[in-house]
Amino acid sequence: MPYLGSEDMVRELRRALSNPNVQSDHLRYRNTILKVVRAMSQGVDVSGLFSEMVKACATVDVVQKKLVYVFLCSYASLNPELSLLVINTLRKDCQDPNPMVRSLALRNMTNLRLPSLVEYVEQPLTAGLRDRAACVRRVAVLGWAKLHKLQASSDIDAAVVNELYSLLRDPDPVVMVNCLRALEEILKEEGGVAINKPIAHHLLNRLKECDVWGQCEVLKILERYRPQSEDELFDILSLLDPSLLSPHPPVMAATLSLFLSLCSGLPAASLSALERVRGPLLAACGSASREMRFTALCHIQLLLRSLPGLMGAHYKRFFCGYAEPAYIKQRKMQLLVELVNDENVALVLDELKGYCTDVNTDTAQAAISAIGRIGRSYSDRCLEILTGLLGLKQEHITSAVVQTVRDLVWVCPQCSEAVCLALEGCEETVQDSQGRQALLWLLGVYGERVSSAPYVLEVFIDGLRSEVSPGVKMELLTATMRLFLCRPAETQDMLGRLLHYCIEEETDMCVRDQALFYYRLLHCGIEETRKVLQGRRSDPSLGVLIGRPAEPVNQWARSFNTLEPLKQSAAETESTSGGSPEPVTSVPRPNTDLSLSSLSPSPVDKVHTESHTLPQIKWLHRSSIYYNIHPTFAGLYTEYLHGFVVFHME
Amino acid sequence: RSFGQVFPLDLNCKTLITFRVLICRNYKGDVDMVEIDHFLPLLMQQEEEGLICPVMSHGNVHFLWIKHNNLYLVATTNKNSNASLVYSFLYKLVEVFTEYFKELEEESIQDNFVVVYELLDELMDFGFPQTTDSKILQEYITQEGAKLEVAKSKVPTTVTNAVSWRSEGIKYKKNEVFIDVIESINVLVNANGSVMSSDIVGSIKLKTMLSGMPELRLGLNDRVLFALTGRDKGKTVAMEDVKFHQCVRLSRFESDRTISFIPPDGESELMSYRINTHVKPLIWIESVIEKFSHSRVEIMVKAKGQFKKQSVANNVEVRVPVPSDADSPKFKTSTGHAKYVPEKNLVVWTIKSFPGGKEYLMRAHFGLPSVENDEMEGKPPITVNFEIPYFTVSGIQVRYMKIIEKSGYQALPWVRYITQSGDYQLRTNA
Repeated sequence: MPYLGSEDMVRELRRALSNPNVQSDHLRYRNTILKVVRAMSQGVDVSGLFSEMVKACATVDVVQKKLVYVFLCSYASLNPELSLLVINTLRKDCQDPNPMVRSLALRNMTNLRLPSLVEYVEQPLTAGLRDRAACVRRVAVLGWAKLHKLQASSDIDAAVVNELYSLLRDPDPVVMVNCLRALEEILKEEGGVAINKPIAHHLLNRLKECDVWGQCEVLKILERYRPQSEDELFDILSLLDPSLLSPHPPVMAATLSLFLSLCSGLPAASLSALERVRGPLLAACGSASREMRFTALCHIQLLLRSLPGLMGAHYKRFFCGYAEPAYIKQRKMQLLVELVNDENVALVLDELKGYCTDVNTDTAQAAISAIGRIGRSYSDRCLEILTGLLGLKQEHITSAVVQTVRDLVWVCPQCSEAVCLALEGCEETVQDSQGRQALLWLLGVYGERVSSAPYVLEVFIDGLRSEVSPGVKMELLTATMRLFLCRPAETQDMLGRLLHYCIEEETDMCVRDQALFYYRLLHCGIEETRKVLQGRRSDPSLGVLIGRPAEPVNQWARSFNTLEPLKQSAAETESTSGGSPEPVTSVPRPNTDLSLSSLSPSPVDKVHTESHTLPQIKWLHRSSIYYNIHPTFAGLYTEYLHGFVVFHME
Repeated sequence: RSFGQVFPLDLNCKTLITFRVLICRNYKGDVDMVEIDHFLPLLMQQEEEGLICPVMSHGNVHFLWIKHNNLYLVATTNKNSNASLVYSFLYKLVEVFTEYFKELEEESIQDNFVVVYELLDELMDFGFPQTTDSKILQEYITQEGAKLEVAKSKVPTTVTNAVSWRSEGIKYKKNEVFIDVIESINVLVNANGSVMSSDIVGSIKLKTMLSGMPELRLGLNDRVLFALTGRDKGKTVAMEDVKFHQCVRLSRFESDRTISFIPPDGESELMSYRINTHVKPLIWIESVIEKFSHSRVEIMVKAKGQFKKQSVANNVEVRVPVPSDADSPKFKTSTGHAKYVPEKNLVVWTIKSFPGGKEYLMRAHFGLPSVENDEMEGKPPITVNFEIPYFTVSGIQVRYMKIIEKSGYQALPWVRYITQSGDYQLRTNA
């Protein structure tokens, strides 16, 4: 075909479509229509050919019909009046002796999505429900749902609803499932299809006839049913039991979901159901599709919340293959952290160590942070690996190690000795602001034990003019202040220079305010300063990894088999790699709620992680004026802020 | 639970800048068509951050996607859907399209878009999966349909039939069944030589060329039958994750362990299973890779056939990774030949025929540039491909296949066994 602009193309096609010679030649006519649809799917606007295409609809050639219908359904909403012309052909087709033609016509009639056509569609749909051929009934049943969606306000005739209910007994399983789907849509306002005892039992008995999709649908809807007696409940459970072991992950998951909802009052039964699905879930983790593997991994994470020991013996299943995508590797590492115990810790750590040099820097950092998490229970082994990694002098690895070590020291203060030894020389490798902030924090808190600390800080202070990250500057301020408290002689001069620069020349308001704050604080006297800056250095009460209490199943049962577990764990990754257990200044915590909320940073709080100095304070810059300040700080703080600040307490 | 739209998107992997929606079907109208425009920017953003995830959200619209060749198949939904069901459906689409067009890729979609539209209409209606069995679909949606003068518009009996996977009136001159028993071995071996994980994925595939409505009965050896039903807790290894084709009468199997069925016509998978056991890696690899910075890499690989002497592994390929900046390869092999594949940074050592119990050696020597590549390179494992005919690791055996049809014809069953490599990885110390 010669190259034509879209207007020329439409003109050309119109001429061909209205050419009587073409119309009389079956094959040429169909080929022209083919060209129109091809142009349409390539994004050319061929809506102008609507009336020609409507004419082409009246044909005995099924393929041509289908092509025209594809066209009409795409453009019908632009041409509601012209679409009325099609309806006659469609209604005639609904009488065709060929059931394929009947179902095709019915489906497209309802796919036109034109409210003005509703009155013409109802009659053929009603007839369709009683059609001899199952394929027509399937389409007709869903047609009513489409109709309802089109005109949600107009009530569907109660007789139709009754007819749909009675079609639940249709011999064709797809018709039955479609009825459920349609009734769900039509009766949405009333809470969906009503499931009474006879219907529930009927559905359960026919479950085996349905395909995978149908089974999932039925299982989902049965979650609404409450058995009337314990005997009935157990009958249902034993009927469903084989489905728990279904080789199709969606069916297995839907069955488990139904189990959990039926057993919400019987925790023991729920737990034994979880035990039952272990095999199929593990099989899903080895599925050929990586998305299925990912989904299975996310759901295992959910189950482990209630049964931490569920996968203990199978930890090797969560070792990563070389070519697996990063999102799977990271999820597997999170699981490995959960599964560590005295027997397997050596093997798991060995495996994780291998991932630390992964080409994907995010995977490498996730592996390092996983080792750090295990370090909360097995600190010696993990520190050995972590400090060993520093020897590689790789920028992203060193940065991740420093951050991990900072978090680890916070929960395991006994590690600080080894950490202090390892810190020497790191400043040359760490480049990113997160890593440097972590390094500065460590130097501030453990400065007395790191002999080179003042020199490292001095290099930072000398390079202040070229520093871009406000987070680093603020961390530097705090670190220098802290170091000044324990090593005043070496630090006094550089602290003076730092404060002078930050107050006089710094353009970032947050940095300037913090410098001013420290400056005033120093005026209050050294004891006052010490009280604010040198508080707890760690909080061992925070996270002991092993022995976390098992959650009741009901906590997460509702989100099982939805998108939530997949999303949830995405947020978790962020907090393990980006956030940290908060190193905090000496301010006593006013209430536990606040400290808890600060421990699980939600993904929105990105700003928050920028400043580890005053972690409970969310720094946002002037442009979005809103400081969230710790109450005890607020009083001390307000006088230094310049009137444009709005306080926002949580 | 239901999907708004399914779009096979085409995306040119190399440029990542231009793309267009190839085919798009809005099944329910819940999700606005323009929402798909957000998919690619999101994908590219995630790719940049290195955190690609198979679920992405924009506002309250979720994109669940899979990638096949250079196509993205995207389902959009604004409900808190059941993720595994959506992915299963997307993979089902790939399966159906692949059976139709051999290869699912941009070209095959463009060449066959009429069939693609027809299929999408049959596969899903109003966001709900309908007829997804490609055997059935193939009976009334044919690629020839678009070419033939008068299209085939017969209703397939299967849409209403009791035996939904087979239609009546099939005829063959010669009645035959071919049975393939295939086992794939997955192995992951650590750098220090310990087997981290290993399993066998087996399947029995049929190619049925039988007339009428035949009744088939498959007899397996007792050991496997016991393993299948898990009745023997002692000696045999347990088979997990046993899947039968829908044609197999499960109740019959559960009661008397007979596998009886009316087979689908043509090719199908009758059953599949997984054995999670410590198998001895059939081809054992020992490797020493020594890297002398700025000068050379020396590789020594020893391959040993750890299977019966009577069996022979064919087309053995040992793929050894080398640094991306290696040059001037030199090889020496005790058998077979080695080839450097620079675009994949691999040495591929091919041995056409590898008898059990034998041991072979390959040495390779590469030069390294004096100015070294700064980029970090991963440590890819050595991978091995092979196939061993007339042999199965699990010991599964077809004892008999009985074929009964009311017309009483004689039919011949043929059986083949093959064991092949699946995901077969051995980590290196380099």
